[in-house]
Amino acid sequence: MLSRHAEDLYWTGRYIERAEDTARLLDVTHHGMLELSGEDAAQANRDVLEVLSLETRFTGSAEDSAAVTNFLVLDQDNPGSISSAVARARTNARGLRDRISSELWEAINSFYLDLQALDLSEEIHEHPYQVYRRVKNSCQMVTGVAAETMPRDDGYRFLTMGRLLERAEMTTRLLDVRYHRLVDSPGAMSFNRWAALLKSVSAYEAYLKEYRAAVDPIQVLAFLLLSADFPRSVQFCLQGTERELAGLIDTGVRSDAQRLLGMVCAKVEYCDLGSLLGGSLGDFLDELQEDIWQVGAAIDTHFFHHATDLDLHPYVTR
Amino acid sequence: MLKTTFAEAYDNGEPRLHYRALMERLHSLAPGDLQGRARLVESTFRTLGITFAVSGREEGLERTWPMDLVPRIIPGSEWEIIEAGLKQRVRALNLFLDDLYVGAQAALHDGVIPRWVVESADGYLREAHGLRAPQGAHCVVAGIDLIRDGGGVYRVLEDNLRVPSGVSYVLENRVAMTRALPIAFRNHAVRPVSHYGASLLTALRSIAPTASGDPTVVVLTPGIANSAYFEHAFLARQMGVELVEGRDLVVQDQVLFMRTTRGLARVDVVYSRVGDEFLDPVVFRHDSLLGIPGIVSAYRAGNVTIANAIGNGAADDKAVYAYVPDMIRYFLAEEPILPNVTTYLPWQNEDREQIFDRLEELVVKPVAEAGGYGIVIGSQADRATLEDLRAKLTAQPRGYIAQETIQLSTHPTLIDASLEERHIDLRPFVLTGEDIEVIPGGLTRVALPEGSLIVNSSQGGGSKDTWVLEDDGAVATR
Amino acid sequence: MNLQIRYTTTFNYPKTVRDSHNVLKACPTSNAAQTLESYDLAIDPPARVFSYVDYWGTRVDSFGIFEPHEQLTIVATSHVVTHPAPSIDLSIDVARYAEPDYRVEYRAYLDPTRHTEWTPPLAELARDTVHGVEDANGAATRLMEAVRDRLSYAPGSTYVGMELAQVLENGQGVCQDYAHAHIALARSVGIPARYVSGYLYAADQSLGSTPDEAEIDVETHAWVEIHIPGWGWQPFDPTNGTPVAESHVKIGHGRDYDDVAPLRGVYHGPEDHELGVSVRISREELAGRQSQQ
Repeated sequence: MLSRHAEDLYWTGRYIERAEDTARLLDVTHHGMLELSGEDAAQANRDVLEVLSLETRFTGSAEDSAAVTNFLVLDQDNPGSISSAVARARTNARGLRDRISSELWEAINSFYLDLQALDLSEEIHEHPYQVYRRVKNSCQMVTGVAAETMPRDDGYRFLTMGRLLERAEMTTRLLDVRYHRLVDSPGAMSFNRWAALLKSVSAYEAYLKEYRAAVDPIQVLAFLLLSADFPRSVQFCLQGTERELAGLIDTGVRSDAQRLLGMVCAKVEYCDLGSLLGGSLGDFLDELQEDIWQVGAAIDTHFFHHATDLDLHPYVTR
Repeated sequence: MLKTTFAEAYDNGEPRLHYRALMERLHSLAPGDLQGRARLVESTFRTLGITFAVSGREEGLERTWPMDLVPRIIPGSEWEIIEAGLKQRVRALNLFLDDLYVGAQAALHDGVIPRWVVESADGYLREAHGLRAPQGAHCVVAGIDLIRDGGGVYRVLEDNLRVPSGVSYVLENRVAMTRALPIAFRNHAVRPVSHYGASLLTALRSIAPTASGDPTVVVLTPGIANSAYFEHAFLARQMGVELVEGRDLVVQDQVLFMRTTRGLARVDVVYSRVGDEFLDPVVFRHDSLLGIPGIVSAYRAGNVTIANAIGNGAADDKAVYAYVPDMIRYFLAEEPILPNVTTYLPWQNEDREQIFDRLEELVVKPVAEAGGYGIVIGSQADRATLEDLRAKLTAQPRGYIAQETIQLSTHPTLIDASLEERHIDLRPFVLTGEDIEVIPGGLTRVALPEGSLIVNSSQGGGSKDTWVLEDDGAVATR
Repeated sequence: MNLQIRYTTTFNYPKTVRDSHNVLKACPTSNAAQTLESYDLAIDPPARVFSYVDYWGTRVDSFGIFEPHEQLTIVATSHVVTHPAPSIDLSIDVARYAEPDYRVEYRAYLDPTRHTEWTPPLAELARDTVHGVEDANGAATRLMEAVRDRLSYAPGSTYVGMELAQVLENGQGVCQDYAHAHIALARSVGIPARYVSGYLYAADQSLGSTPDEAEIDVETHAWVEIHIPGWGWQPFDPTNGTPVAESHVKIGHGRDYDDVAPLRGVYHGPEDHELGVSVRISREELAGRQSQQ
């Protein structure tokens, strides 16, 4: 397929995932915050911004929860906001209309129109829970419609790969920021906080089922990093990406993207949880983020930029 | 010339033979029923995104082009004449373009058309000299605008040989009609149009460079912001080929490729919906980012074919138009089947006198404008406009042509809840590959404001489904 | 004259460049005044060249370089033998220029173009200059002198796309400017004129005298051809005012510079680039004379 179409599909996957993850994160944070003091609330806001890699972009005060919410949900100038992500996904999908199923286009388009129709600035502060739920539902609707209406061709693979990579990044960053906080301040290691961490990736119920026990740091870490069955664990996302990638590349020499991805998967698979908890977790997660970023860059180079990002310049001589 | 108006559906208040069954059906429907069906069509078009972007506005402003629910009907025997006339005209136009750019310019040497008229046409491109069009098909897709004068005679109003648009509406209108008026449709033996995509693909494959065994065809669009983007995507889908933008293509060693996730893939035929001047920044506008550097060179080297060919604007110029009947006589040794609208050329002394004497009766058109812009209808213009026009005609005779005012035929059209007469024209689409094929009917455009003669979508026009009958409509029901 | 011409253009880019597409018009034409003996093109990095003759009769070499590169060198070597010019018939009446059929036929060379746009004062100057002149060659010569009176030769004083009126107001220019000015003046009074691109075997392009050295380094040159009714296209060199003869080697002609620019193209990469154009012309003794020595 055309590189441009592949790239647009890949990014559509990323944008939709980003919108969903952001909504989930904000939802959990919002509920957790009801019990927090002002200082803790500001810290929670800062954490959210950090998880989303938007801490430097946000120019307001972290104490102002409404401003943070506006920035992350509504702000059209913030490319990472839910509104922006959905608008970008829709722009991409519009250019892909002869590539994607009409049902998928309709799902993305109505998601966009729905957000447009809603007076979000009122709604988000009056009924945040409804807004977040709506965004999550719509994202899952888009993903579900894609799964049910698109043939399992290269296009679907790019869409899926974008979604999985975005999610792997998100879970890694979430672990990085939250785990730090939990480990650094033992006094606050309440059940609620662990539950919130799991909830922010919809992992709470799945975790309880898997371990049938109270939350335990090493098990939480194992679950979110290594679970082969839980769809938001880092390993699950990376292995999924590996599968899609294999389908996209003709047999023969391994691509850089495959090689890099294989190395990251192995690194996660064989990590020593005990020593990570013993102090090296921060470095490990930083490295992991960098690795995943590299995989994205390798995919970009391999599939999307056969020639050049360079500008075109005319010249003439006398 | 007759100043009367030809009514398509009625003759002395009685429905014409081929309209009887339709009119019976329409009048049998309960009041308001038609309106309800029309609303349904409108909302379907919007959901499907059958829209055109309103130019000059911000992104997202998309409009549907209203489809009128009353179809235009052309009897089979009448269509035969139109079809023969269109084929004849397009054949001559292709021969003229081939002679001009590839051949010995015999038509210019023999004075069929003054050289300067051709050379001063905006769309004439010296850069296109020597660019061969396989099959001599310079216009693979031609849209020839026809109108009917007061006597019901079909006349050619304009040739569109560069990027004629509107064919997607022909196909979508048909689908919508069979849903909105299924019984009426079934009661007529209507010739199908749905094979257009297949016919276009066959024509495009037939002009591929000779070396390509199984040629790859693509549709080239300026991008999503283009007002006709929907049609570009539609045609790509109908043909099952890739819809590409300039940035998807690259030329290496005079061969055209598209960038795919599995590497570069060779392209043999480009159905281009990008204007000539934006096609290749090496040759034309050096600042154009839409284009593909080197594509004209690849074309010249015979490694790719571009359709429509580059430089077709030399033949659909409004001044060159006046000479098309002479082209037909010269190249085909035949009399034109479809006459032009009588046209006067301000640079010819005898014509100029006519124009100045009868300015308030004629229609004056700027040759460089499309889409109905800049047209002055003498009978509707005020004194100042006419004086201004006189000055322009004197200063720039090559910039204008004048034509007899033709009322355009009228057709029953659903306005609110009733059927009213509105002016219409017809744009049939003619495909040239190994053979010439005319898709039955074409796009009937209707001027929705009462009395208006301007049917362009940009100026309040709508469209109608066009039914060409297998017969002459003698059988009311089947 | 027996001339060996080596046209070299070198691009140095500060960063990697890819996917360049180039159109070269550096090959001398063959006509009554000159015979092209050989032409050879070398490009580094190597490229597949596609050559054709364009509408104006000029040979065009078209090539692209897809692979990344930081330098591009184009060397076009030609061997040309030039012949003495035929003498011109001076008796042709300027009245012929006004004939309607003639004006229609030469319209392409009478209309203003991007580089030959004239202002009312320029047209007035041209009218005054040819006032009372009866023969076509004389009119063309007077117009050339008018240009030479108003411009002095100053390399680097103008750029491609600078308005002609501005050039004349500044009073400085290079050969392209002299040619465009001469063309504009001629066309403004209804005399068909066209732009010629070529090489001049002269140590000083503004003087035009034949050099003593066998080998010299010059730049590309430009001059003008004026149509003399019933006679043909007569060349004039407004830059130096000398007769166009055996030292002039023509590449091609067009309505203005845009139709025959020696090298143009596009590339993907940084906007900045260092451009070096050089033309080395060496005069060789004709084979016949050599054998006599």
